[in-house]
Amino acid sequence: MSQEIKEREPMFSPKNMRLITNPFNKENPITVQVLGICSALAVTVKFEPAFMMALSVIAVAAIGNTIISVLRNTIPSRIRIIVQLVVVALLVILVDQILKAFSYDVSKQLSVFVGLIITNCILMGRYEAFAMQNKPWPSFLDGLGNGFGYGLILLLVAAFREIFSPSGSLTLPFFGTVKIVPQAFFDMGYVGNGMAILPPMALISVAIIIWIQRSRNEDLQEN
Amino acid sequence: MNKNGNLYIFTYASVLVVGVAVVLTVASISLKPFQDKNVRIEKMQNILASIGIQSTAKNAEQIYDSKISEELIVSVDGQVTSVYENGKFTKGNLRAFDVDLKKELSSVQKTKKGNLPIFVADIDGKKYYIIPLLGKGLWSSIWGNIALEDDLNTVYGANFDHKSETPGLGAEIAQKPKAGEKVFSDQFKGKKIFDDASDFKSISVVKGGVANQKAIALDNGVDAISGGTLTSNGVTDMIKDCLVNYVNFIKTQKSSNESGN
Amino acid sequence: MELFNLFIESIFIENMVFMYFIGMCSYLAVSKTVKTSIGLGIAVVFVQIITVPVNFLVNKYFLVAGALSWLGPEYADVDLGFLSFIMFIAIIASMVQLVEMAVEKFSPALYNSLGIFLPLIAVNCAILGGSLFMQEREYETLAEASVYGLGSGFGWMVAIVIVAAIREKITYSNVPKPLKGLGITFIITGLIGIAFMSFMGIKL
Repeated sequence: MSQEIKEREPMFSPKNMRLITNPFNKENPITVQVLGICSALAVTVKFEPAFMMALSVIAVAAIGNTIISVLRNTIPSRIRIIVQLVVVALLVILVDQILKAFSYDVSKQLSVFVGLIITNCILMGRYEAFAMQNKPWPSFLDGLGNGFGYGLILLLVAAFREIFSPSGSLTLPFFGTVKIVPQAFFDMGYVGNGMAILPPMALISVAIIIWIQRSRNEDLQEN
Repeated sequence: MNKNGNLYIFTYASVLVVGVAVVLTVASISLKPFQDKNVRIEKMQNILASIGIQSTAKNAEQIYDSKISEELIVSVDGQVTSVYENGKFTKGNLRAFDVDLKKELSSVQKTKKGNLPIFVADIDGKKYYIIPLLGKGLWSSIWGNIALEDDLNTVYGANFDHKSETPGLGAEIAQKPKAGEKVFSDQFKGKKIFDDASDFKSISVVKGGVANQKAIALDNGVDAISGGTLTSNGVTDMIKDCLVNYVNFIKTQKSSNESGN
Repeated sequence: MELFNLFIESIFIENMVFMYFIGMCSYLAVSKTVKTSIGLGIAVVFVQIITVPVNFLVNKYFLVAGALSWLGPEYADVDLGFLSFIMFIAIIASMVQLVEMAVEKFSPALYNSLGIFLPLIAVNCAILGGSLFMQEREYETLAEASVYGLGSGFGWMVAIVIVAAIREKITYSNVPKPLKGLGITFIITGLIGIAFMSFMGIKL
């Protein structure tokens, strides 16, 4: 028994911490692994729905990773993809039901994109690549990390788009709307960019983030 | 045990499916009351907004009960088939609030029969008639409520909402009233749905300013949202298609009002 | 005419990729050459034509509130709407499997060209997205749902082929290094998206 404890690594060993921090930069699910793009772009018109979406994905990624990892030794390999799909679908339905019950406005704004978390490749990708081979605790951290990495990009894009939109303000969850562009600017004739709220701007904002990230980190550049 | 044997796979799948089904059913049943309540409260808020009362999710139900005195169901030929007054039925047994507008409108379109809801608000002794609207915008459904004064002609207020109109353009129809600013729904106040010869004219949302139009009287038109022409057309159609079903009711109501005086 | 309108609308105006960013993952991963893009595009259209109508029927006769009333009046209050995600994805996964087996058996030539794409498709959000939009927009007839399935799949194919063609050419251009590959593809997609916005409001 005591031997087993010795072999076990501490809860927050450097290796485990990297599982959380790597997805923020070098292994970011969106800008580097190119996973989960669909929802990242579609829900970023405003900050608040993006925030709720990020929370939902973090929850589904972390809990799902843990469940798969706990079950990993029992899952028959022939139906493992189906089992993973069932677990994601279960969690996503729960998230959807909870949003509908307690955060109705946001659930209306997210509409079908909550359902599309099921096919968000981040989840299936992490379940298959990480949780099937690792213990529950690292899997949980990995899910959390990837969820955060995804959420970070989501929030960046959403903040960018909302600030430059004609309203010039930021709708923070729990705080209400904050005016970012001062009224004086509008009085002087500043007009927000109507483009920012239209779909193509999401793509261009992500491209800008990728540009910045890759020019700082040359390992990531493609040939 | 052989993990790739058919028996194992089959048992595993069955256990998984049953487990998932149980969890989902429990969650769905326990959360259902909350979800239904949200939908009801939103509907109440929309109805109240058309008579210029802004409510929060907390007080909507209470304000609704105190302001909306009657819920009527009328038929296309103008008969009142159901009256729900101060918490009880005085005629029929269908609450206007529980009517599925979409179903009724399509049945009216097909068979000329349907249960059309009207809400009557009572504010400081004055009656207002609120008619729910439902239609199609550019992308998807739009809906709203329009409140008429007790002459059943002059618009007292209106509100609109949408599922997925273009943000910043068509979506502006849903702008909430703000102090010192004229939003889209404010324009409807004081407009008339009949012309001087008491023919049904509805209210059109027109491009390029109502004042510059010849075909539409100033009383029967409001200005479109710039950049949201197709959503504006959707609003025009929605108001016309929904209100036209009530014309018979309005006419009978008017003549009974006049003979009553 | 209504149906043709819906078809055009779902290809150009409500294009899955440019307006809703659905199916972006495989879109970005596979759009390197025109040939493979066409293959994947056809596979998506194919699966979409099958799954959207099937899911439509399942939705209409099992899932919507009151859908079970054909079993008897006592079932009229049952609302299985909360099961729709899991049902849709299960149907998609099994349909893809069936299609794969059928194609393999009856048309080995087609299987050789499409085969490798089919497994990819079960987790392509374009497919689930098509079914979810079908449910969300409450199409009323099977014909409408089928036309929407065809149109949205076709729109996705148009998008991926356009971008693949541009990407083939852009490899010879001098793109800033950090933008190479992923970054420039995003920008191209954004620009084509702006172009596609000019279709907005077209009604036939």
